[in-house]
Amino acid sequence: MVMKKKFPYRAALVACNGGCRANQEEAKCTYGCSGCRACASACKFGAISINSYGVAEVAEEKCIACGMCVRVCPQQLIHIHECANYIVVKCSNHDKGADARKECQVSCIGCGICERTCTASAVHIRDNCAVIDETYCLSCGMCLVKCPRHVMQDLRGIFTSGH
Amino acid sequence: MISFTVNGCVVTPSKNQKLLRFLRDELHLLAAKDGCSEGACGACTVLINGNACKSCVPDTDSLQGKSVITVEGLTAWETKVYSFAYAEAGAVQCGFCIPGMVMCTKALLDKNPDPTDSEICYALRNNYCRCTGYVKIIAAVKLAAKITREGRIPEKGADDWKLGARVQRLDAEEKVLGTGKYPDDYYLDGMLYGSALRSKYPRARVLSIDTSAAKALPGVVAVLTAEDIPGENKIGHLKHDQYTLIPPGGLTHFLGDAIALVAAENCETVEKAKKLIRVEYEILPAVHNIQEAAASDAPKVFDEEKDNICAYKHISRGNAAEAIQQAKHVISHHFETPWTEHAFLEPECAVSYIDEDGDMFIYSTDQSAHQTLHECRLLLGTDKIKVQNALVGGGFGGKEDMTVQHHAALITYLTKRPVKVKLSRAESLLIHPKRHHFEMDFTMGCDENGIIQGVKATVASDTGAFASLGGPVLERACTHAAGPYTYQNFEIEGTAYYTNNPPAGAFRGFGVTQTCFVTETLLNMMADEVGISPWEIRYRNAIRPWGVLPNGQIVDDSTGLVETLMAVKPEYDAAIAAGKPAGLGCAMKNAGVGVGIPDTGRVKLIVEPDKKVHIYAGASCIGQGLGTVLVQMVVTNTDLQHEEIVYERSNTWISPDSGTTSGSRQTLVTGEACRRACEKFMEDRKKGKNLNDMVGCFYYGEYLAKTDPLGADVPNPVSHVAYGYATQLCILDSKTGKIEKVVAAHDVGKAVNPLSCEGQIEGGVVMSIGYALRERYPIDKNCKPIEKYGSLGLFRAHEVPEIEAIVIDKPGLKVACGAIGIGEITSIPTAPAIADAYFRYDHERRYSLPLVHTPYERKDGSW
Ligand code: SF4
Ligand code: FES
Ligand code: FES
Repeated sequence: MVMKKKFPYRAALVACNGGCRANQEEAKCTYGCSGCRACASACKFGAISINSYGVAEVAEEKCIACGMCVRVCPQQLIHIHECANYIVVKCSNHDKGADARKECQVSCIGCGICERTCTASAVHIRDNCAVIDETYCLSCGMCLVKCPRHVMQDLRGIFTSGH
Repeated sequence: MISFTVNGCVVTPSKNQKLLRFLRDELHLLAAKDGCSEGACGACTVLINGNACKSCVPDTDSLQGKSVITVEGLTAWETKVYSFAYAEAGAVQCGFCIPGMVMCTKALLDKNPDPTDSEICYALRNNYCRCTGYVKIIAAVKLAAKITREGRIPEKGADDWKLGARVQRLDAEEKVLGTGKYPDDYYLDGMLYGSALRSKYPRARVLSIDTSAAKALPGVVAVLTAEDIPGENKIGHLKHDQYTLIPPGGLTHFLGDAIALVAAENCETVEKAKKLIRVEYEILPAVHNIQEAAASDAPKVFDEEKDNICAYKHISRGNAAEAIQQAKHVISHHFETPWTEHAFLEPECAVSYIDEDGDMFIYSTDQSAHQTLHECRLLLGTDKIKVQNALVGGGFGGKEDMTVQHHAALITYLTKRPVKVKLSRAESLLIHPKRHHFEMDFTMGCDENGIIQGVKATVASDTGAFASLGGPVLERACTHAAGPYTYQNFEIEGTAYYTNNPPAGAFRGFGVTQTCFVTETLLNMMADEVGISPWEIRYRNAIRPWGVLPNGQIVDDSTGLVETLMAVKPEYDAAIAAGKPAGLGCAMKNAGVGVGIPDTGRVKLIVEPDKKVHIYAGASCIGQGLGTVLVQMVVTNTDLQHEEIVYERSNTWISPDSGTTSGSRQTLVTGEACRRACEKFMEDRKKGKNLNDMVGCFYYGEYLAKTDPLGADVPNPVSHVAYGYATQLCILDSKTGKIEKVVAAHDVGKAVNPLSCEGQIEGGVVMSIGYALRERYPIDKNCKPIEKYGSLGLFRAHEVPEIEAIVIDKPGLKVACGAIGIGEITSIPTAPAIADAYFRYDHERRYSLPLVHTPYERKDGSW
């Protein structure tokens, strides 16, 4: 199915980096993507697949931001964002930093480095997890470069290579 | 070993560093500019694997195998396309943002050869431009796309360089290609880096300074304190109250006061050394605001002063109190306007060295090379100083004071070594003087027809830690508070207070942006009270040729306020008829310093061995396009072609002092001096001489804009030689509450270059859309500015509404071929026009800026 998309383009974003890397360890992240495929089956456009880390990933060129996946995700970690904002937070953790650190190698620990770094005051820690406000983000990637946990991702694959 | 390619060549950085530092410091590819080094401005934008990226962000270690393209790596065809498109569209002003914009353009066009307007805006939206309001940059991208598709560079729109021609600016190409040099682009052999240790407390007594550990650090060449200053420690524009370095025993005035200066072989060592300086302070209570400053038991900001009053003005003509008492309608209210940061793209930087004559040579980015000369002369106690204006990456009033020039000069003077002193963006936000915060109480009285009978007002400004131009700003705020109307009872009392906040000084509009918001808002309220439209009340009160202004000045027949009102009328009426919320604001702004202060333009035309006429004027182009204006003046007033004319950037040893780029004065004052020099040149020409015969000759023109001082004992004093007038109209979208359109009609006298003129209008309007709706400069309890560059609230490319610039070309004055100039007025009536539009939208009258409850207000609570 081909849909005409309206600029500025929007797409779904899965806010999990592949926390399943923690699956091998004893502690387990309860906020991350479990790879249940609910979103992938709900998407009529075939825009979602499960990547090598076992978590859902959106192909933005196929996504029309209908929001179906947002509604079906049992973990509530999918949201719609504007594609022009390519620096994104890929974590939905809400545990305290010390626990979050044990549960996953790439979890946000709420250290606040990104919040202090951001020139636009666009990043804030809410419930122990970084959130980027896309209205104010200047997409510079400074938070991503400074984050000790590789929580942010550059969807263009320049500052981070993706998966 | 990390390696990647830059413009196709494989490179290997010597160490891990930010890509921008590697490009500039190691490869000396200087097109990518350093505007903030914190990811905000975008001046450093390059392509990495085809994507626009801010090069101050990634570490070189993260770039293994990637491909980086800078402006220097554009193909010959691309350089032609972008230079032409940006110049032809009039997109280049100060130029500091332009190389970054060019890279965004390339990133976009490489993927999307035929982008829509909103796609263009999105491609530019992570890059700030403070000069152009983006309008012409967007047009340039569109033109570049068209040329790229068609594969052919079109003819120039105008090639006749006479006054009135929309010619391409002289400096467009060097700014597009990044070859033009700002001070930061000078890398001299053996150059040191210098920086100042700033005060830890806004108000404290410095008890002792121990620099021994810093001096002992390898790589440190000098650590200087107040005792090393050969001349005067205190400098400044009018009042010498700005300390170069605070001496032991001295009081600090704000967090930006310098305590010691460090010069070292590289920046890292400078920063390390600064941390090793031990300063003992006695912390004292600070003065945070006007109320604290005015309190009877207030701590004093200056040891030398008897109180915290920096300036006081009282202006009165007629009898305002009586006129208001007898008026049918009277409205009184309290208003406030915020601090505003200039946010020019280029942070302050100076490079100095000892030249072959043994003189101190300073490359500076400032609004007057001669001012830098005077102040450095005072500081060093020597005349052996030369100042050369490099390109200036925006000023808007914020580069009128010494910030780095005097520090660089002092280091070179004492070490005999070249040095670069550059402010970080955070320092820049703290240190250069801002737009004053004003608190104002106004009363206006009108008769039953809405004719103003009298205005009485009290205003107070927070001028911060030193005088800068706080006095003149206050004065201009007071004189222009009356507005461009004719009535004869006006009284205003103004006080500027010292506080321990960052200093406030000149900012486009020079005090008028503040009081105009009040007068115009009152007039809008009055219109409702009287029962006529805001347009009608202005039309009835407008100053017309040969009318008398509230200051007593009789205006001449160049006065074009009514024309600007007429120009917006059709759109105003149409908006009202369509039920759209619309607001109006009018303004006047002097061209020239005025009020009896000697204000002289000076220009020398020298025929040099290249058989070209070189224009030397000690007048800074801070981005507005003065060079192009002067060349157009010369073409118009001589028989020369523009190819035979060369504009020389201002310096202090050949260019005669033509005053500061301030008060919208250069087009008029320096323009007239230039015209006079042309007259002399033509006398020789008429004797039959050609350029060959004239080599070595020079022609000098001088023009004194003569005015009467404030309070001069004459019935009709000439306060200013000329005024520009404007009406701006803001129309809102009644559904979204966002600005749909701003129409800005400006009476500019003769428009020298309508293209540049529109650019000034668009840039000024967008700047004031920010001032009206969003820009903030909050200061915390420790007198520290809170925001970073990216959170000041500056408007971005995708947020800018449609702006229609109407240039009303109404020559009248007998000087400068009728040109008046436009620099500041573009920013003045915007805020009250927007404020009234919002009142029409939601019936909430707002008395302070930025306006609350608009869709532009930042909602995430981080402000
Ligand atoms: S820097 Fe990284 S780990 Fe720290 S709060 Fe930000 S996103 Fe989380
Ligand atoms: S210098 Fe890189 S964004 Fe400002
Ligand atoms: S031209 Fe864009 S910042 Fe000056």
